[in-house]
Amino acid sequence: MLAVAEAPSAERPLLIASDIHRHFEGLHAVDGVSVDVPPGKITGLIGPNGAGKSTLLAVLAGTLPASSGTIVFDGRDVTHSPAYMRARSGLVRTFQLPSEFGRLTVLENLLVAAPNNKGDSLFGALMGKRYWIGDERRLVEEARALLQRFGMSAKESDYAGNMSGGQKRLIEIMRALMLRPRLLLLDEPMSGVHPKIVLEIQHYLQDLRAEGLTILMVEHELHMVERLCDSVVVMAQGKVIGSGTMATLRRQREIVDAYLVG
Amino acid sequence: MNSYYAANLLIYAGVDIIALLALNLQFGLSGIVNFSFIVFQSIGAYTAAVLSLPPDSANGGFQIYFGGYQLPFPIPWIGGAVAGGLLSIITNEVITNARPLVNGAAGLALVPPPFSDQIDPNTQSYQFLYVGITAVCVVLVFVLASRVVNSPYGRSLRAMREREIAAIAIGKNPVQLKMTVFILGGIIAGLSGAILVGFIQLWAPSVWLYPETIILFAAIIVGGRGNNVGAILGALLVPVGFEEVTRFIPTTIGPPGLIPALQWVAIGLLIIGFLWFRPDGVRPEPRRVFEGAPVLEDVDHARRG
Repeated sequence: MLAVAEAPSAERPLLIASDIHRHFEGLHAVDGVSVDVPPGKITGLIGPNGAGKSTLLAVLAGTLPASSGTIVFDGRDVTHSPAYMRARSGLVRTFQLPSEFGRLTVLENLLVAAPNNKGDSLFGALMGKRYWIGDERRLVEEARALLQRFGMSAKESDYAGNMSGGQKRLIEIMRALMLRPRLLLLDEPMSGVHPKIVLEIQHYLQDLRAEGLTILMVEHELHMVERLCDSVVVMAQGKVIGSGTMATLRRQREIVDAYLVG
Repeated sequence: MNSYYAANLLIYAGVDIIALLALNLQFGLSGIVNFSFIVFQSIGAYTAAVLSLPPDSANGGFQIYFGGYQLPFPIPWIGGAVAGGLLSIITNEVITNARPLVNGAAGLALVPPPFSDQIDPNTQSYQFLYVGITAVCVVLVFVLASRVVNSPYGRSLRAMREREIAAIAIGKNPVQLKMTVFILGGIIAGLSGAILVGFIQLWAPSVWLYPETIILFAAIIVGGRGNNVGAILGALLVPVGFEEVTRFIPTTIGPPGLIPALQWVAIGLLIIGFLWFRPDGVRPEPRRVFEGAPVLEDVDHARRG
């Protein structure tokens, strides 16, 4: 349905990250991590605080450059692509802390992410409203459909900065969906969110997966990971220490000791 | 009020409005803090002056590089606008030290105003012709600036201003966005300088000292960041209103330089006062409510776009 691009072939992973390193001076935040993200699934990325999960997500999205390693997205090497190019190609991330555009309305937060608006260039802007109003109307409809789906239609004209923590999370997910992503990188989408909205986000993510969207998600709440994720990658001290389903991981002593205390 | 003073005030207002619409695109809309803004205006003024002057003028005949011709209006003004856009790194040092270029610290004087070969610039009708030309430029720049501010492109600039890293994450290229708005602002600032030099007929480094930029920033903060109408209000309230009012304070009070120094203190207090009590300015950036939006009680003051 609306904001999800066509899923790639099921044979090959949508994203292949090989031997990724990210150093900060002497600190090896990500230390030789290799991860494959299968298409049409939700992959969880878990691990204790400081394990390097968010750094890995930032490296995959291009927000932080990798010190070494390669990232192949949908068959194309994107290791040296800037973050904005990766986003345009469908590799879209969200942030650990709310990152709404505070002085833009909720609807504008969605519209600003939409590609293919003739008015979104200096030339288009100077040509005047008549030149781009057709695109704008189409995108407003698209954005309103998303707002309705996420139950936020009534808030469209409010400043995004005035929304609650949970609503800001939803705005960020909707904003990412406006880009028609192929792979959504979610950094703790449930953190600081009211339990009622946590359940809503869970249902939305399940629906998006059913529509073919691929998701890689950093999450601390293990019950949520168990319910949502098809497979899970466990990180500790910058390395991958295991991967598989939660049921398999719970049987591995080293992983249980390192992280799975529950 | 004598008519020369009125024309003078109107032209200064027009020049300041154009400059502030440019600064609003850079600072108000896009969040780019460009403290060298005055350089853009000054480069525009210098270029317009050089292009207007006849070959045997004060700067030693730099015009020979333009084929030895006195160029007709509006080529000097267009040249000023283009130069403002292109030349952003020429500094006060270069101007002051490169004497053969624009006559060093002495500046350029007796710059022929537009149409001066056809109409006597010292007549009242010429003054109001100049006011008219300035007004046309103000309207033109206002229309262009409004198109940018109210477009999806302006929305992208506002998003970059709000949170650059999130803007990158949705596919915006901040380098391209900043460079484009920087050049656009520079072009408009250059035009404002060209208009000013055509009127005052002289240009020297002492006219465009860096604190002048602070006055323009103060005007944007007072008027309302990100709002073109706010930029116009700011121009009328600060560089025109505030400076004109304080001009009438007798300068004989206290030691020499006290009153001009207090003017700067007052500008500083104005900025701090507004940032503290009314950070959005007299005319805040409007909230964009789209056609067909659910009607809410608290959006009555918002603009429908």
